[in-house]
Amino acid sequence: MDIRLDGISHSYDTFEVMRDISLDISSGQIVCIVGPSGCGKSTLLRFIGGLERPQSGQVLQLGDPPEGCLNPLTYIFQDFALLPWRSVSGNVSLVLEDHGIKGSAARKIIEDVLARTKLSDFAKALPKQLSGGMKQRVAIARALAVNPAVMLMDEPLSALDSQTRELLMDDLIDLWTRQPFTAVYVTHNLAEAVRLGHRVVVLSRRPGRIREIVEIEKPLNQREFGDPDLDKAQKHLWQLMRDEARAADAELINV
Amino acid sequence: MTTLNRRKALALMGASVAASGLAAPALAMNNKIKVGALRFTSHAGNFVAFERGYFADAGLDVEFEFFQAAQPMAVAIASGDVDYAVTAVSGGLISLADKGAIKVIGGALSEEEGIDGQKFLASDAAFQAGVKTPKDLDGKKFAVTQAGSSFHYMGSKMAQAEGIEMSFTPLQKVGAIIGAMKSGQVDGWSIVPHIAKPLAGSGAVHIIGNVSDYLPDYQVTTVFTSAKHAADERGMTESFLEGFSRGVDDYAAAMIDNTADQDAMVDLIHKYVYTDRPRDKAAPSIINGTMRLNKGAALNIASIQDQLNWFQSEGLVDADITIEKLVDTSYVDIIGA
Amino acid sequence: MSDVSLGKSVAFRGGGFAPKPHRWVGVLVFISLILFAEWGTRTGWISALTLPKPSDVLQTFQELYDSGLLFKHLAPSLSRLIVGAAIGASIGISVGILIGLFSYIRSGLVPLVAAIFPIPKIALLPLFVIWFGIGEGSKYALIAFGTFTPTVVATYGAVDNVDRTLIRMGQSFGLSWWSIVRKIVLPGAMPGILSGLRISLAIAIILLVAAEMLGAEYGIGAYILEAGSLYDLERLFAGVVILSLLGVLVSAVIGLVERRLLGWRT
Repeated sequence: MDIRLDGISHSYDTFEVMRDISLDISSGQIVCIVGPSGCGKSTLLRFIGGLERPQSGQVLQLGDPPEGCLNPLTYIFQDFALLPWRSVSGNVSLVLEDHGIKGSAARKIIEDVLARTKLSDFAKALPKQLSGGMKQRVAIARALAVNPAVMLMDEPLSALDSQTRELLMDDLIDLWTRQPFTAVYVTHNLAEAVRLGHRVVVLSRRPGRIREIVEIEKPLNQREFGDPDLDKAQKHLWQLMRDEARAADAELINV
Repeated sequence: MTTLNRRKALALMGASVAASGLAAPALAMNNKIKVGALRFTSHAGNFVAFERGYFADAGLDVEFEFFQAAQPMAVAIASGDVDYAVTAVSGGLISLADKGAIKVIGGALSEEEGIDGQKFLASDAAFQAGVKTPKDLDGKKFAVTQAGSSFHYMGSKMAQAEGIEMSFTPLQKVGAIIGAMKSGQVDGWSIVPHIAKPLAGSGAVHIIGNVSDYLPDYQVTTVFTSAKHAADERGMTESFLEGFSRGVDDYAAAMIDNTADQDAMVDLIHKYVYTDRPRDKAAPSIINGTMRLNKGAALNIASIQDQLNWFQSEGLVDADITIEKLVDTSYVDIIGA
Repeated sequence: MSDVSLGKSVAFRGGGFAPKPHRWVGVLVFISLILFAEWGTRTGWISALTLPKPSDVLQTFQELYDSGLLFKHLAPSLSRLIVGAAIGASIGISVGILIGLFSYIRSGLVPLVAAIFPIPKIALLPLFVIWFGIGEGSKYALIAFGTFTPTVVATYGAVDNVDRTLIRMGQSFGLSWWSIVRKIVLPGAMPGILSGLRISLAIAIILLVAAEMLGAEYGIGAYILEAGSLYDLERLFAGVVILSLLGVLVSAVIGLVERRLLGWRT
């Protein structure tokens, strides 16, 4: 299943957030969206997931979601959004219960996704007992449980320290390599973008427009920390953004 | 514990003056005292004595302190905030006497044959259901303000005499009882005639008997003061009783014995009682409320003893309280002994 | 560097401002106050009119227990408390959740709740007697009414405080409205609801005495009122102590429930 954004514009009152964004997200690819703060990255992601409605333009699903997909468009949040009163397996089972998956069927899915995110030993733990990285892995496991067509990841690693971030990036790459998934990955961290993105979409300062789409050819499993090709791509991205980022930083916040 | 306020200071000065042998008669001392009162006709003795200057004649500068209920008044006497007051004998009063705080020194309101006294009432609902005499209240709900109140005593003595069983429903305030009687939530009650008659007149309740049939010489209210005053302030206490008695005499002459001008007396009482009603509407209530106030504040000791016994038998007060602890008999004529 | 004489040590200026629990201090304060009262009343320094002897209060309590009257008074009071508070709290929680979830209900009911919150419920007792009768009905109603308002306010505050991202998460996974309310909003609001209940139930105990002013022959409140009118300080204090113990008990039960239900809190 592909996603197509068709001429999306949006403003809050008289405050224009983004203008005429059109983009194709094809199946099995990770598309990273970067841009200076306030360019509407996260808003765009909420449009894709149907949590907010754009004022003009539309988000289209092309084709049908794959067989066994419970929730085609599935989010992973920056602050994990785990229910603190449910255990790790309880948090995963939450999203299955509404689809009538209970008992052994649910147990099978939970065991599978926890194994894939290396959480099998922590099934009974409460979120308060977990580190930030573990919590985000629980969130990823929860997202995998509904077998999504597209994962919508909103700065998923921003709340973590840099070592944990590296570890989780490796985990995500492993997951993708074993079973490619489609994802829209919003981040302000260019290193993440070049490590995980097949394509990196650079948005301009408010009102956000697409400035450039950078393709990164190197296969995901060959990208490593300190890779010179990636460093070059990252430098290129930074040059594109630098002035806009500075201008955006100097703006008064009036949201 | 003993803060010396102005009044106590005066009392102390009075005592030291007396002790130093310069004791003048109480009459000349012009003592400032506080008298507790409820805005009821039964307190008329005090009002008359004040208005006609009998307290002043006795050398007392009286100031009234008005209360909404008898219970806080008894506590005020115990705490020394009020010097003299008139109230019904209640469990609270006896307990305070037991704690050495107060003494009964004279009698006021009495049931007397030939004078309309307190009534037993039935709610309209109970009356329609066949409660025509106090005896019919068997198994019914009898309203009282609180356990150990005079209402409780009257109801209980009637039940005892009739050999019936009633349950007593505490409703704290007379107003609440009237509401409960009107809406039929309780079945029976006893109350002074000036409240009973207008209620019965409106058809909301029915008079089914007289309290005096069961308690012929019932000493309803008494004059009391702090134990300290009774023991140490003899002069002042005698002066008070003297003024009070003259007030009572005037009241009895005008309202009961018809030897004096009733209209003038009603005018006087209206200054204190039913002040929120015009004179012509207040007058019937004041006249209806007429009951015997004992001459010379004489005290019916037999009735007091009976009340004490009842409170003790009900377990409401300590069983070893004696009548001596409650009453100082040295001030007034003791009757019924 | 290791030569200490080279410099003077930095003066310590941290510490403090970190209260630590010392359970025995509270007990000690209680005991010493009681002992002080006992000593004062025994020597006569505190008159019998001012305060009863603590040992006499204990004896009164013992007599109350031996005579079986304790349970005769306790049973109706507890049933009034439980029924009244259960009605008030459950309606309060339901209304609070509705206010928290629906803007029209919020706009309609919040001013109403604000208007009835400050009404002294005792003042309405005579009215309740007419509405619900002089029996148990008016007593349940008074206690229910008194617990209702604080529970409503605590509950909708708690619902407002539920992490919105958790609700967004639920929506993003396609959970039904009812699932979101049951599995996310309710458990998320539970801490606020329980701390609101602490206050509401204390108010219920306070109102017990008021509820038993009218037409109650038995009950802790009736017992206290009777003791007050008889100026029987020993019984008055024995009754007050029972209410205090009831308060401690209720607080302990809520603490237990909190530990069971809110173990997930950090």
